[in-house]
Order: sequence, then C-alpha cells, then structure tokens
Amino acid sequence: MVDIVLDRVTKRFGSQTAVDALETTFGSGQVTCLLGPSGCGKTTLMRMIAGLEVPTAGRILIGGRDVAGLPPRQRDVGMVFQYPVMYPTLSVAENIEEPLRHDRSVSGGERAKRVDEMLDVLDMRDLRDALIDELNTGLRQKVAVGRAVARHAEVVLFDEPTTNIEVDAKLTLIRAIKAVTTRLRQTIVYVTHDQTEAMTLADSIALMEQGRIVQQDAPRALYAAPRTRFAGWFLGNPGMNYLGTEVRDGAVHSPMLAAPIPLPGGRNGQVVLGVRPEWITVGAGRAEGEVTDCVIGIGGRRLMTVRLGREVVRIKCSAAEAVAPGGWVRFSVPPDRVVLFDDKGEAIAALTQGVPA
Amino acid sequence: MAAVTDPIAAAPRRRADSHRGLVFILLAPVLAFFVVFNTIPLLWLLGLSFHNFSLTSGMPPEFVGFQNYYQLWLGRNNFWGDLSRTFTFVAVGVTIQTLLGVGLGLLFWGSRTMPGRRIALTLLFAPMVLTPVATGTFFRFIYDPNFGVLNQMIQGLGLPMVDFLGSPATAYWAVLAVDCWMWTPFMILMTLAALGSVPKAELEAAEIDRLPFRKRFTLVILHHGKFILMLGILLRVIDSFKTLDLIIPMTKGGPGQQTRLVAVELNKQAFESFNMGFSSAYAVYLLLVSIAMTSVFIFVLNLRRRRGS
Repeated sequence: MVDIVLDRVTKRFGSQTAVDALETTFGSGQVTCLLGPSGCGKTTLMRMIAGLEVPTAGRILIGGRDVAGLPPRQRDVGMVFQYPVMYPTLSVAENIEEPLRHDRSVSGGERAKRVDEMLDVLDMRDLRDALIDELNTGLRQKVAVGRAVARHAEVVLFDEPTTNIEVDAKLTLIRAIKAVTTRLRQTIVYVTHDQTEAMTLADSIALMEQGRIVQQDAPRALYAAPRTRFAGWFLGNPGMNYLGTEVRDGAVHSPMLAAPIPLPGGRNGQVVLGVRPEWITVGAGRAEGEVTDCVIGIGGRRLMTVRLGREVVRIKCSAAEAVAPGGWVRFSVPPDRVVLFDDKGEAIAALTQGVPA
Repeated sequence: MAAVTDPIAAAPRRRADSHRGLVFILLAPVLAFFVVFNTIPLLWLLGLSFHNFSLTSGMPPEFVGFQNYYQLWLGRNNFWGDLSRTFTFVAVGVTIQTLLGVGLGLLFWGSRTMPGRRIALTLLFAPMVLTPVATGTFFRFIYDPNFGVLNQMIQGLGLPMVDFLGSPATAYWAVLAVDCWMWTPFMILMTLAALGSVPKAELEAAEIDRLPFRKRFTLVILHHGKFILMLGILLRVIDSFKTLDLIIPMTKGGPGQQTRLVAVELNKQAFESFNMGFSSAYAVYLLLVSIAMTSVFIFVLNLRRRRGS
C-alpha cells in the first residue's frame, strides 16, 4: 500500500491557475474524496496524479517515488472516467481481463481468478459474455470500475464516475464501488461534487476551493467542524446558517444561545455564528421568529425557514415540532454546537464536541 | 358540407404541396446538369458500344450487336493483361499508400509538440495538390537515364545507370512508386481525420490500462477510425483504377505494354485511334468493374456499421 504526497503541486493553463501550490497527503489504503464545486481544480489534480496532465510545478510522490514527469503507464494507477470508457469490441469479462493480459506478473490462472472474483463482487456473473453494446451506461460504468480495480494497481482514481449515470443505477454503482474498495484497500482518490457520495464513500474528504484544499478531514469531522464558512456552506443540505453576532465583554451574545459563549483573547466587534439547521432545538429558548416556509424533506423531516430579526434561519425538525408558515416558533442552540467565524470567514474556535446525526 | 374544408387541417397540406414545388425548382438545375452531362452521355456510350464506328473512316456507325464486347472478352488488344496489370497497380499501390499513410499519420499525430510540425505537414501535402501531369513530367526528368537526378545519385554511389522508365523490368514499379509518392499524403490526411474521431478519454484509459500500442491501435483507434479509413481506401481504389494522367507524361503506357493500365489503353483507343464503338464497350466493362468494387466496399461498410449499432 502506498500513500500519495502532493508537494506544492501547481497547474496553470495560460493565465488561469487550476491547482495552486497544493500540499497534502492522501493516506495509504484510504478512500479520499476530492469534493468541491465545478471548476475548483479537483479533476485537474486527479489527472495530474494519473499522469494525464503534467504539473507546472511541484512534486507528486506515489509511495515515495516522484512520478510528476512520468507517463501514466509508468505509474501504478487505475482510473474510472466520467463516461464509461469501454473496449466495445470485447465482452464484459474480456474488458476486465484486458489490462491484466499485459501484466507479466499475473499468470493465466490468476487472471481468470481475478476476473471471476471481480464479476462476483460487481454481481455481474450473468453478464460475463455480454457485449458492451448490450449494456446500459450504469452497467458499463460497473465494468469500467472492475477493469480499473482488477489490476490491483496501488492507486485507483475515480473521476466523477456517477455523474452520467441514471439515478437508479447510481446507487447500485456506488454500492459496487464501496464493495470493491473495502475489499482491496487500494489507495483511492475519488473526485465528486456530490457530498452525499463523498460522505458515503470517503475515509477522508479533501474539500477544494479555487485550486486549494481548504480542509481535509474525516467526513463527520469536516461536517461538524468546518474550518471555513465555505466548508460549512458547501457541506450539508442546506448548508450552515450564518448569523452576524455581536461580541461584548469578551463573550458572544445571541438570542439563540442560552448563555453567552466566552471568547478567548477578549476580542470585541462582530463574529459570525455558524449553526447547522439540525443542531437547532425547537420549542423553547429566547429566540423567536416567524416561520415563512415549511417543506417536507428526507424521511419526513421538516425544513422550516424562520425570520429572526433581519436574519433568516433554516431549521430542521420533526413533523411534530414543525410550525406552519405564518406561525411563530421559539428555538435555541446548545453553545457546544456552534462554530464561530471571524470576518475573513475562518473558524475562530470549533466549540462542537459532539458528532451530529 | 364536404366541400368546406377545415382550414387548420388544410393549411399544412397546402404548405407541403408548395414546399414540394419549391423542392423541384431548387433541384431542377442540378437535375438538368446531371441528365445533360451524365445520363445522356452514359446512354450515348451504351449505344455506341453496340456499333462499329470510327471517327476517321468517314463511315456512319454500323450496328454490330455484342461484337465489341465479345472481342474484348476474347482478349483483343490484350484486354485481360491490361486489366490484371491495373488490378495489381491498385492493390499494391493502395496497400502501400494505406500502410505508409497510417504509419506516418500516427507519427504526425504523436508529435503534436514537435516544432515545425505545421510546415512539415503542409510540405507533405504538396504532392497531393499537384496536377498529376506535372508530377509525371517532373518524375520523367528525375528518372531520366542521362541527366536525371536519381541516376546522378546512383552513379555517384558507383552503381550502373538504370533507365527506370525505359526498361521493362523497372518501368511498372517506377510508375507505381510515383503514384505512392503522390497519394500517401491523402492517406495520412484520412488517418489524421480518423484519429481525430477517437474520443480522448478512450485513449487515456488505454494508456492508463497500460495496453501496448498494438492493442491501443486495434481496440480503440481502429474501432473509431475504421469508417473514415475505409472511406479513404475506397476513394483511393476508385481513383487509382482510373490512373491515366500520371502515366501519359512518364511512359505513355510503355515500354511495350509494361505500364499500359486500362485507362491508358481506353484513352488511346478513343482519342488517338478514334475507335469510338470499341472504346465505348471498353468503358462499359470498366464501369461494371468500378460498380462491382464500390458495391463490395459499401457492403462491407454497412456490414460493420450494422454490427456496431
């Protein structure tokens, strides 16, 4: 097993900087999801790890070996693309087998074994001899996953593999990816802009913004303690509530808080209070706002939009707690479940200790 | 009343009618051109082929039935020899052009960062845009035994002089070589077009899967590029079958009959000997051969496409 170390990796296209002096390590045997909005450089970064793009500057170390200048075939990587890339004249089994044929260290028997194993894991035994033409996009992408993984490459890269797959097939595909990755413990980099996918698959999420990794953490830690306002906003559906709040006498005062939060360093002025919609407790508290909207979300949970003074707060609550639009609701948030941000949008102190649901 | 038509139902039909009228008006010039310059001459040719008619004899055409066809079939003027020589010319020439074209095309395609690539490409396509008559004339000089540049080089190496176009042993292959020089660029162009139709991700995937070149070529490049390549080969076969203007300035079909391809002989019969009836029958035979070859190609192309979809 190998880790991937990125050392001041930079990629510029003309005057545009896609990846900006990025420094991080993707853990050995881990699934790291590169998550971020479109155009943040995540695909470029992954293509550089694959060897399909040459970095403008910096080093890429796979298992300690600098591969930045090497072509893809001299790196031990497998890759799944955004569109299922197939060898259309070959059958399903042949597609998975083809890269193995050119690996001298794999014997004929071993090859057959790996193909069978892969078809089992992907649950595609019946389609063994099917031609690619006969498969839909979802199944084709599964074959592509099998082909990338069966070679037992040390690193496997996924470039938004579910983007072009229909919703039904998406879940099957993600389940297949999960099954394959937990089984082989290869070092995996998975690019996505879908946070649910990242949460499901990742051991670690690297959140990217404008060519930089702004935070890299385990999914729950990233969710509970975003280090920037961007991270809090990008993760979660909807993202964090942000409320401008006054600091007086070395403590943060807000009607939402049962007690003021003391701020170390004794700064005064304004801070931003970040609260996830589901961290808010409904029914009691000093804050009272008018409900302007209430919609049903996943699992029958309600998402209320509440006007609190000049601010708007989104609250997730149960059906019983929900209040119809036009009504008033009282709510509060425990002081240990708040994240405070300074005026630059960076977290001052993550006061969250618990892990959200 | 039945006479009262629903205006909504009638409107589209009326528009379709006037639309059809417009289609005919727009097509008329092309159709007229086609009939005047294609259909009528073809029928005329067919008619002439059943006659004995010489422009120089001053006699009116004499109907002779299938006599012209029969004589050709029996091998008058060494018809079968010319035909087989032409088939060899097409087969060997197009094969060499395809192999060289694909090979050079791949090299050019793989050298996208090479400096001077555009100039090299432009120069490479020069032979293709030259008039064949000019090319033939150039090469007659290059091949010339006395003051040709090629013999200068050969003699410079201390080897005996070769009369490339005058010697029966070399004339055919010398002409074939010029044909390849002239038309390999066309196959390079087709190869580059075929490569352009290959999705980038598939090549990248093959590269990451560490497929050797042979496999990348057969599994990815040929799969996507075969249609364009086949089209290029088809065009070359049809064109090569008609080779005339390259040969006239070089050898006029000689020495003996060594480079006498069907088009050369047809040209001689029709426009030097003025045997219009005989040459018409000759032309009809060639037309049939061309149609047969084209049909085979189109059949193969459709077969692949049908299997692919």
